[in-house]
Amino acid sequence: MPASDARASEGPAQPKHELVLERIFDAPRDLVFKVWTDPAHVAEWWGPHGFKTTIHAMDVRPGGRWHYSMRGPDGNDYPFDGVYAEVVAPERLVFEGTIHADTTQGVWTEVTFAEQGGKTKVTVRQVFSFESAATKGAPIGWNQQLDRLAAYLAKR
Amino acid sequence: MPVDHLTTTFAALADPTRRAILARLASGELSVTELAEPFEMSLPAVSKHLKVLQRAGLVTRGREAQWRPCRLDARPLKDAADWVEHYRRFWTESFDRLDEYLHKLKSEEKAHARKRRKSE
Repeated sequence: MPASDARASEGPAQPKHELVLERIFDAPRDLVFKVWTDPAHVAEWWGPHGFKTTIHAMDVRPGGRWHYSMRGPDGNDYPFDGVYAEVVAPERLVFEGTIHADTTQGVWTEVTFAEQGGKTKVTVRQVFSFESAATKGAPIGWNQQLDRLAAYLAKR
Repeated sequence: MPVDHLTTTFAALADPTRRAILARLASGELSVTELAEPFEMSLPAVSKHLKVLQRAGLVTRGREAQWRPCRLDARPLKDAADWVEHYRRFWTESFDRLDEYLHKLKSEEKAHARKRRKSE
C-alpha cells in the first residue's frame, strides 16, 4: 500500500468507538416505538433466534431501570442491567448499563425512530467500554476501517 | 476470550496511527525505519506505538540481525472481530424477529377491524 493511502484512509483523527445498524420496518412509527417500550411486546422479539428474553424491570422514563435476562439455546443466561437515560416518544431512546457474558461490558445504546413515508427507520448506535486500567473507562470499540481490515485479513 | 486480551486489543486499536501501522503491515513485513517513513513522527515515537502493538500480540518482531522486521499477527484482530460480530448478530436477528412480529401485529389488527365491521 502506498504511504499516502495509509494516511488518507484514516479519515478523522478521532476513531468512532461504536457499532451502528439500521433497518426500515414496514409499520407506523408509533407502533414501532410501542413495541420497543412495552415489556409484553419486547419479550416477543428481543434477542437472536433461539433466545428467550425475560424482563425483570422496564421502567421507560429517564432514570428508570431496564433489567432483563436472555437465555440462549445453550442454556446460558446473558443478563443486562441498566437505566434509561433519555426517553422521547416516539423518536428516541437512550439506555446504558452492563452486560454479563463471558466478560462484563459497559454498553451505551441510542435508538432513533424516523418516519419514512409510512414506514419507520430504526437506527441503533452502541458504544462499548471495558473497565480496566488500560482503558481508564474510556469507550473503545470498532470502526469501519477495522471491519475492512479484519475482512481482508480473514481471506489470507 | 478473556476480557484482558480484548481490552488490550481494543486499546491498541483505538489509536489511528497504530491502525495505519497495522494496515501497512498487512501488505508485508517492514523494518521500523520503513514503517516510520509515511508518518510525521520520530523513530522513538513509532517504536512506542510498536511496543503497544507487540504487547497486544498484534505485531511480532523477527530475530534477523540488524533490521528485525515487524510482522502483523492477525489472530487478536480476529478475536476482536468475532466479538463485534456477536453484537452485530444480536441486532440483525432481533431486527428480523421484530419485523416478523410487526407483521403479525398488523395482520391481527386487520382481522379485528374486519370483525368489528361485521358485528356493526
